Amino acid sequence: MYWATNQYTTTPLPTEAAMKSTRALKATGLVLVAVVLGLLTVQGSYALWNKFAGANAGTVQAADFRISLTDTKTGDYTDMTLANGTAATFALSTTPTGAVVPGHSTYAGVQLGNVTNAGGDFTVRATTAVPVIDNNAVSALAPYMQVKVVAATALSQCSQAALYESASSNGTATVDIAKTATGVFCFQITLAATMPVNLSGQTAAIAVPITVNQL
Amino acid sequence: MNKMAKGAIATAVGVILLAGGGGTLATWNQAQNSSMGSVVSGDLNLVPVSAGAWTDKAGKAITNIAAYKVVPGETLTYTQQLDVTLSGDLMAATLKVTGETVNNGFAANAVVSTTALKNATDGAVLPTTTLRAADTGKVTATTTFAFKETTANRESVNANYNFGAIGYELKQLAPAGSNGL
Repeated sequence: MYWATNQYTTTPLPTEAAMKSTRALKATGLVLVAVVLGLLTVQGSYALWNKFAGANAGTVQAADFRISLTDTKTGDYTDMTLANGTAATFALSTTPTGAVVPGHSTYAGVQLGNVTNAGGDFTVRATTAVPVIDNNAVSALAPYMQVKVVAATALSQCSQAALYESASSNGTATVDIAKTATGVFCFQITLAATMPVNLSGQTAAIAVPITVNQL
Repeated sequence: MNKMAKGAIATAVGVILLAGGGGTLATWNQAQNSSMGSVVSGDLNLVPVSAGAWTDKAGKAITNIAAYKVVPGETLTYTQQLDVTLSGDLMAATLKVTGETVNNGFAANAVVSTTALKNATDGAVLPTTTLRAADTGKVTATTTFAFKETTANRESVNANYNFGAIGYELKQLAPAGSNGL
């Protein structure tokens, strides 16, 4: 056991106290002298000529990476990446509106804008993934639905059936978008003429994931 | 002789003695100039030739770095010319870059080179290089900033890298046998 609670107190004689005080003052004096000498020695090296010039290189700033999504018909707008960093889900309106009749198609489109503030070149490539038809468990519309995706130069092209003639069903599309430019993806959704009547009135959601990469 | 006469004679003798004493000025003497000349100090100066300039990978000038935004894959280069003046028979100095502390909002997505200093003949000027009066002339400082291509997702968007603390210091070295004054 090293710690102990017993204490002994001694009172030094006045002469002892005075001597200790003198020694302490001497020691303090030595330390001060040493410190002053030390400082002077260091400072001395700065007494030689020297000249400083600032680089004034400023600050390098990274650009933003913003892709806008605009609906063909309504003009609704969103950023692909939301403020909280998550990917946006953007609902598109179709033309014509209303129910799709078997054997007919409806059309939609989205315009992608490369709204970056990059100082230099900044071209991006937007690519769609395979459309995902997600109808509810009750209906079985998916086998009777066909989604074609093509790249276009203007939203007005999206409702032109001829645009989709060479596109494969449930395929993908790619468009390169230069800085501050826009690109368009057009969608054709066709309901097969062979759709059973008992599926009438059902709904299905079609998701088309879009990925944008810097080139 | 009365007292007045004696006083007059004594005064006259004194004047004559004084006049005789003045004769000592007529002895040989000579003055010489020391010919020490003038002591002239040398010079040490460091002045940017002009404002530094940023260029992109293609060498195209970036007129205003404050308004320029980089994207992954870009490499920017900052170049600044400095006028170094060194004069003095025993002048010796070093030139080094200061303030290269990390102030990096890009984290690992950016690589910034150590600022390189080169003299007029493209020779490296290292922090340990002793410059003499003969080295008076232009020195070019170059720094590169690379925004790595491997930057993934949206990492480092809107990030900043502040070069504001960087500067150059030309500092005299004490001559050999310096008296320390």
